[in-house]
Order: sequence, then structure tokens, then C-alpha cells
Amino acid sequence: MNSSIPIQLLRLVVISLLHDPATLLADTAALAAEVKSKGWIVFPARTEKSDWDLFVMRPDGSERRNITNTPDANESYPLFSRDGKRLLFRRLARGENIDGNDYGRQGVPMVSKSDGTDAKALGGEGDLPWASWGPDGKEFACLSLKGVTFVDASTGKVTRTLKRNGFFQQLTWSPDGVWLSGVSNSFGAAWSVARMNALTGETNAVSTTDNCTPDWFPDSKRMIFANRHASDVALGKTGWTQMWMADADGKNPQLVYAEDGRHIYGGHVSPDGKYVLFTGNPQEDGDPANGGAPMALMRIADAPIIGGDSAVLRRLHPNAKSGPVLTLPKGWEPCWTFHEITFAK
Amino acid sequence: MRIRHFIALLFASLMFVACDKKPAAPDPQLSTRGTVEVTARLVEIPEGAIFKRDLYDYAGILKYEVTAVHRGSLAKGATIYIGHYNPWKPRAEAADKKMKDIGGSLREFRAGELHRMALETPMDEHYLGGIVDKYFGKREGQAFWAVWTNPAE
Repeated sequence: MNSSIPIQLLRLVVISLLHDPATLLADTAALAAEVKSKGWIVFPARTEKSDWDLFVMRPDGSERRNITNTPDANESYPLFSRDGKRLLFRRLARGENIDGNDYGRQGVPMVSKSDGTDAKALGGEGDLPWASWGPDGKEFACLSLKGVTFVDASTGKVTRTLKRNGFFQQLTWSPDGVWLSGVSNSFGAAWSVARMNALTGETNAVSTTDNCTPDWFPDSKRMIFANRHASDVALGKTGWTQMWMADADGKNPQLVYAEDGRHIYGGHVSPDGKYVLFTGNPQEDGDPANGGAPMALMRIADAPIIGGDSAVLRRLHPNAKSGPVLTLPKGWEPCWTFHEITFAK
Repeated sequence: MRIRHFIALLFASLMFVACDKKPAAPDPQLSTRGTVEVTARLVEIPEGAIFKRDLYDYAGILKYEVTAVHRGSLAKGATIYIGHYNPWKPRAEAADKKMKDIGGSLREFRAGELHRMALETPMDEHYLGGIVDKYFGKREGQAFWAVWTNPAE
């Protein structure tokens, strides 16, 4: 018994240091300096003209610039190709709100260089639904009522089709090309995060509490996703959405970030797998109908982190840290590349 | 006497009108939509199967016992499972940009009531979205998709 007292004291000291505001501030500044030169983040955000454009910025939030400048249209759902040289996104009519459940099939699919220039439409309204880049950028995987389709990126022709097996939104092709992630209705929860073999169509659940916005780690073996707080769901409440990660076979689930009072969505892992971007908003679903949510960045190695007071969460996760978390500007569904974009003057 | 005559005349007129009243014409939406048309009793509403959620659309799976088959090859007395889009809404208000071709006159789902419905099958070929299925793992086969739902006599 006595031997555990020094360990407990040491733990208290460590926790106090981790929660100390001055320490956290310094750690956050160090995190910003660490990521500043690691490529670019693209994200949709409201402009001063109140439309949604695509912006890029350094991962520390600096050098923010508008790369679409289309006051008569809204842009959303930007995805860098895996080599970071091209950008896939959707262009909507100015009056159309971005729908948190439907953004992957709204408007017209567009492709451009990663600096936003040379933009061209890849089809009409609703075409290439939930399109996701293949590993070599030569194909897209798409998801519709008809199934999962693989489309030649240069010709637009469907090369093969799989049954969708319950997948219904947020399709993402894994970096190694072997798997697809998505949200499925076939595992007993209305919104399960699941994995599909891109060759056979075979599926497995990754998490069956209400989940969404899955994304891949660069090794294609783990996934990150938003997970509704299971205890609240059991009580019939919607709960605050948290960021979790797990092996793609569903094993080893671990909390990444949670905060009472903010819904955490849109997790996107950095190309080296060391950091994660996400959005957090007091409004459900990231509030795309209004201004979007403040984005944030943290080290995966610092997980789990609990933000804010979150007394219940801290009791549930006594070893969680309080930071560092880098707060970034308002945006929605960010995407990160390490490719060095060169901008025309 | 005049009052008696007036009352008798009024009664006879009412009887004539009542006898002349034709049964309500069947809703053409039921006979022209979907591939199956049934009258079925809603067996139950499991806890948590229907709830109001503004931001997230979903389909709720409900259990029915078929009492009459108007179109299609179902058997009377069969137990079937039917997916209704956003079941917390009156059917006339359920259609939206994502699911345009659904509707009906049913205002609220109540256990034990009879519904006349036009259905599609399998549900998976007609609906893309979240499904709240309290019968998951307990039922076999694909659910039907409710296209049009009216209360039945």
C-alpha cells in the first residue's frame, strides 16, 4: 500500500503540470512551430461575402489564402490527391446550404491543381457522388444507391462496380488502395463506421456506436472517426461527439479527443500519421449552414486529450491530458498534404 | 302537424343522403406507386424506433402483420418489416430533397392501427441513409420500403 503513495503523488504532479495553463501555452506554441512547415491544409470556410470558398493555410494557421474566389458559388469537401498535386471538391449554387449528411453528392464535382487554378467540372449536378481519390490518382471510388463504382479519372468511365453492402456516405479510399471506409447502416446502428475490401466488397464494422467521418491513417491499418458518447446514447440523449481511433478490424479503440459542449467531427490524419485535424462546434454536425466550426490540430502521441472542464469525461479518462491542442480558424472538413504548393504571384 | 311533417321530411332526406353516400375513392397513389400494395396492422413500436431528430434523416424499421394483399405476391397473415423515412413526421411532410417520392395521409404511427401502403422491395435499392432497426439480428430477409402510407379503415 505504502509503495503506491509516491507513485500517486508523482502522477498528481505530472497531471498538474500537464494542466498548468502556462505549460499548455508553451506546449501549444511548440506544436505550432513543429507543424508550420509541414505542407498545407485545405478547407472550406465562409468569406466576408458570406459564400463558402476553399482556403489553404499552413498547419499552424498562418499564410491563409482563398484559392477559389467564387462569390457566386459555394465550394466544399476538398480532397487533395495522395500526391498532393490535385484537388477534388464540389461546387454548389450560392443559395444552397452545405448539408452535413449529403455534402459528398451536392453540386458539381470539380478538379483543379492544388493551388485552386485550372479548375474544371468533372460532370453535372450530383455526379461522382462521394468521390474519393484512388492511391495513384487515376481513379475515383464513388458511392450511390447503385453501389460502389470505380471511375477512370481521365475518361469518367465506370470500370467496375461493387454492391454497397449498407455503405451510404463518406466513402474514403485507403492510401494503399486495398480498402474503403465509410458509414454503413448494416451493423445494427444507424450510423456505423465500417471498412470494405475494395476488391471483394467484403465488409466489417469498425465501430457500431453512432459514428461518422471516418478517415485512414497512412498505413491503411487504422482509422479515425467521430463517435457519439456511448453512455449518453444509452440514456437516450444524443451526447457530444468524440474523436476516436481503432484498428480497421475494429480492435483497440482509443479516445483521441473529447470535450463536453463541442461536437468533434471531420478527423483527418496528417500524411505522416503523427497529427490529426478536426472540427469542434457547439452546434451539431459542424454547423455548415452557418459559419462552420473552429478547427484544431493535435499530436496523435498526446492522445487522449480532454478539452474544457468536461468533469465527467475526466473521471472516465483519468490519464487524459488537457493539451496541447492548436486552435485553427473556422472551417469544415479539412484535408492535409505535405506537398509544397507553389502559388502564382 | 307542419312541424311533424317537416321533421319526417328532414329525416327522410338525411337517410337518402346517407344511403347515397359512395365509399371514398381509393387513393390512386397507392395503386400506382411501388410494386406491392397491402393493408397491414402495425404490430408494435419498439422503444427508440421513432424519435425526432432534425439534423439527421433516418429510416425506422417497423413490424407489420399483413391483413390484405392488393398487389404483389405476399401472403395474408405474413409478418413483414417496413422502413419508413423520418417516421416522426406526418407522411405528407416526410418527402424532402433526398427522398422525393414518398408520402401519404397518415399523420402518426400508432401500434395496432391498420395502414394501407404502397411498398418497394428490397429497401436497400430505394433508400440510402441511416437505418434505425430495433429488429436487427432478430429478423430475416430484406425490409420493404414504404412509398405511400395511408390509414386504413
